[in-house]
Amino acid sequence: MANPFGEPIGDEGASGSSFVHGTDSDSEILEGFLCPICKNDLRTPERLTVHVEQEHSEEQDLLKSLKEIFSFAKQGILKKGKKKLGPYDSPNEASGVKGADVGICPTAASSQNNPLLQPTVVQAVGCECDHMAYFKAVRNPRLERYASETNKLIIRLDKLLDGCPTDPDGKKRHEQSKVPWIDGKLVKLCPSCAKSFGITRRQHHCRVCGSVMCDGCSLYLSFEDARNIVQPNPASPTTRNRPDEGIEAPASETESFRVCEHCLHLLMNRMEMQDSRVDRPPITRLYERLQRERADIEPDIPMYRRILDSLYEGDVIFRLSDASALREKIGRTAERLDNISKTVLALPFAAGSREEALKKAIRLACVSYIKECMLSIPPLPVEEEIKKIQVRRRQETARREERERMLAQEAYERYELLQAGNADPTSYNNGSSSSSSTASTAEMTNGRFAPAAAAAVATMDNWSGTQAGAATNPNSTADPLIDQINIVKGYIRQAREAMRFEEVATLEQNLSELTQEFYNRQRLASQ
Amino acid sequence: MNVIRAIQLYIDKMITDAGPGMKMLMMDRETISIVSMAFAQSEMLQKEVFLFERIDSARSNERLKYLKCIVFIRPTRDNVLRLQRELRSPKYGSYYINFSNIIPRTDIKALAESDESESVREVKEIYADYLPVNPNLFSLHIPTCLQALNWNPEALERSTQGLVSILLSFKFRPAIRYRAGSNVAQTLAKKVHETINKETALFSFRPPEDGAAPPLLLILDRRDDPITPLLNQWTYQAMVHELLTINKQRVDLSGVSGVPKDLKEVVLSTEQDEFYANNLYANFGEIATTIKVLMDEFQKKAHDQRKIESIADMKNFVETYPQFRKMSGTVTKHLVLISELSVQVGRQQLFEVSELEQEIACRADHSTQLQRVKKLVAEGKLGAANALRLVLLYAMRYERHANCDTSGLLKLLLDRGGRSYIVPRMLEYISTVARQELFNTVKITDAVKLTRNLIKELKGVENVYAQHECVLKGTLEEVIKGRPLDAQYPIMGNEVPFRRPPAEVIVFIVGGATYEEALAVHRYNQEGCRIVLGGTTIHNSGSFIEEVLAATAGVPFKHSRSLQQFHQAPPGTA
Repeated sequence: MANPFGEPIGDEGASGSSFVHGTDSDSEILEGFLCPICKNDLRTPERLTVHVEQEHSEEQDLLKSLKEIFSFAKQGILKKGKKKLGPYDSPNEASGVKGADVGICPTAASSQNNPLLQPTVVQAVGCECDHMAYFKAVRNPRLERYASETNKLIIRLDKLLDGCPTDPDGKKRHEQSKVPWIDGKLVKLCPSCAKSFGITRRQHHCRVCGSVMCDGCSLYLSFEDARNIVQPNPASPTTRNRPDEGIEAPASETESFRVCEHCLHLLMNRMEMQDSRVDRPPITRLYERLQRERADIEPDIPMYRRILDSLYEGDVIFRLSDASALREKIGRTAERLDNISKTVLALPFAAGSREEALKKAIRLACVSYIKECMLSIPPLPVEEEIKKIQVRRRQETARREERERMLAQEAYERYELLQAGNADPTSYNNGSSSSSSTASTAEMTNGRFAPAAAAAVATMDNWSGTQAGAATNPNSTADPLIDQINIVKGYIRQAREAMRFEEVATLEQNLSELTQEFYNRQRLASQ
Repeated sequence: MNVIRAIQLYIDKMITDAGPGMKMLMMDRETISIVSMAFAQSEMLQKEVFLFERIDSARSNERLKYLKCIVFIRPTRDNVLRLQRELRSPKYGSYYINFSNIIPRTDIKALAESDESESVREVKEIYADYLPVNPNLFSLHIPTCLQALNWNPEALERSTQGLVSILLSFKFRPAIRYRAGSNVAQTLAKKVHETINKETALFSFRPPEDGAAPPLLLILDRRDDPITPLLNQWTYQAMVHELLTINKQRVDLSGVSGVPKDLKEVVLSTEQDEFYANNLYANFGEIATTIKVLMDEFQKKAHDQRKIESIADMKNFVETYPQFRKMSGTVTKHLVLISELSVQVGRQQLFEVSELEQEIACRADHSTQLQRVKKLVAEGKLGAANALRLVLLYAMRYERHANCDTSGLLKLLLDRGGRSYIVPRMLEYISTVARQELFNTVKITDAVKLTRNLIKELKGVENVYAQHECVLKGTLEEVIKGRPLDAQYPIMGNEVPFRRPPAEVIVFIVGGATYEEALAVHRYNQEGCRIVLGGTTIHNSGSFIEEVLAATAGVPFKHSRSLQQFHQAPPGTA
């Protein structure tokens, strides 16, 4: 059975040469680590990468794809070393990659791991058509008209409330004096129910707009609501429901204004808008806290994985204590998230209501996030194991440097033979020294400087030991480079304490470049 | 070109456009299936979408002003009216409205006039108006699209919309070709062409660089290949659909005995189920071994999990628990499915039936095949559906044969209570092209095939159950190789046809696609082609027969007059 992750990548492992086939437009077939642009054979992947970096720096895409292919190839080779795994044998690996993007289905997997066949695999979101401009063009003039009308009503309401007498007759006179009432004789039918007025169906006036209606069509606005509309009180939002369902018969007519349907609708809409602006139920506050916690911890989880990877690689950028501190932080946040979501779940809502469904959904989302993203992080590595890996890595590096030095030596000798006599030997030297500065991060180490770099590793510990003392007295060093190194070290310490591991990584990078430079200078000075 | 991805991107965009905060999603009957085929509910929860509501369900009066409401509906008249009502007394704080297709301007005006409390923040069209089934397969979920062998107007409308939407979601302005001689294919091609010309603003994509051929939209007709949906299938997805029926990624197992309660209905999604995604096209033999491996692995893991002795073990268990649970769910689900499949294979004698089906479909050998069909139908060990299928295949294959004995077979079928009236209807359904060409081409290649089979047998990799090749495969071959298509697949409109083969192809089969055809498309895609297949629906033999019956209802019998005694359906049936 095919390993869904292993196989396509494994194929890639063999494509060092087939890649060249694909780009080679001529009929003749060249093999080896060819530069896709100038078609020189560079022999090793490292050299090819550096070559492209230097000679074709404008072709950023190409460089990227080149690096990807080599890393694919490496993975492929490493995988082949292990025994074939089933699709579920490596759950950590599987969850380590973003779900939707990689290897979900055979077609997607094949198309994504096969950039040769399908150069444009990243699918962009399709067409869209935005109608908001037209929507606003229709809506906004209408809203403005409503708004001015509502404002007029509110001003009148304010006048009506101001010094309103309590006795019915006085109230009516007061109301009539503030708002001009329509002449009832002109209206024969009730405008809303179209029934004719008479002795049994008397005319009534809306107190805010002054229009006429029958008793059956009258609605009432209580003083309390009216006051709330006129002077919105942000501290205590009106908790009552939209009243047009349940306000037909108020307790007493003295405590409310008779209004028509149209005015009440406008006023209530305004009230509701005011309410929703100030209304912040506990669930929203809790939810915001939840999201803040989550946003805080989100970048830390991939960082933790990166630290672990780097530890297992045998790098010295991060320490085991970093990983454990970060792990502890993630654990604490998980606990906090759990607690907040439990509080959400405990909020009292009516059974079967949508709010109850909402709180359950929030809790569910939180639990599955904690389970799948936070608790599933791999355990801390054992310290001895890491030390072993680091030792092995150091030995390997030393061995590789030795080998590469030999190779470079050979190549250099060949080159000298070829160039015998008339060639300019310094040109090679220049080339190599310039590459050494750019290649300090790349795996390619220039053979000529390799012994010096190896020596640097050995002496570095001594040096940093003495500098620990010197750091307390920074004026004692004359070399600005050493000052710089000490400053960077201080920064690293601070960043580590603040658990900003992203910065630790870049600073460590700087530090290694600085020390490299320092030793280069020392060496030059001693020569 | 991945249809699932296209829909996912749209939905993702729709949700992120609404900004952070608690959200609810309001959908209609169709869009809810579109969303659910692209994402699991748990994934939606992680996108802060906590509540789901149908716009056409009863409204509760509960107001949740602190929620953002994302509306994703089809632009139908009813939906617009319902949305207007919602906006007049809004339950939620703000609305982000997404229509799944082109919406008339008058409808937007009506909505704008209803938005009295200024709660609408966005009105957009996104073109996610089709059901993504597999990465290379989409469906419009129209169970029957023809009436009296012509378009049902609603189905035509929906199909046009669906095709326009898939073109827009890939940003294609295609050349449209349709199967010559097919009325329905031509009508649909014309409608799509009209829409593209009308919506010039939408379809104003840059033409492909360096004069490459534009994408091709190829509209075919099921009536040209009625064989494929009738054959028994042996690849996993096709088999599950044939024997258990997949309805929008869901398989109903409530009829299967001994199924655990939580597996009465299982979801088969290439996005959420890695095992399924990897084995969609694996054949039955392979999949049985695969599931065995998976089970062994699982048992090993389960065994490891069980011996929790120290605290370290416990921690380890908790850490791997989510994956463990996920895996256990997958294993049981597929185990149940596969064991049910093998039960059905045994009970229905599918190996025998399938071999004969393939024989009839691929080789001309009238007398032997007639004998075998007769024997199987008469014996009565076979289920009615399979007997009917054999007779249908025979009737189509040997319609013009001098010694054709369809009526004899129908008598046998009728004697054992089979639905023999379907056979004449099928003969009316198949197109003239199919009648003339379907088996002719087979005859020409017969000799080649026979030798190929011989070689295969020598190599010992012969698979007699997968000899048949669908018509689509040959069609695609011609398209990809850049052969002249104008005679059989004329181009719609007055575009100058391109001689070079197109880089992308969308195939749409009026009358439904099948999973066998999806497999053919998948094989081409593996070779580097970019093809997407769609259909008015995805058929198995059962649903296809229903489609045939609906399409031929009320059609006068022209080709099957000799079978007059079988025309009438027994009372009480359709």
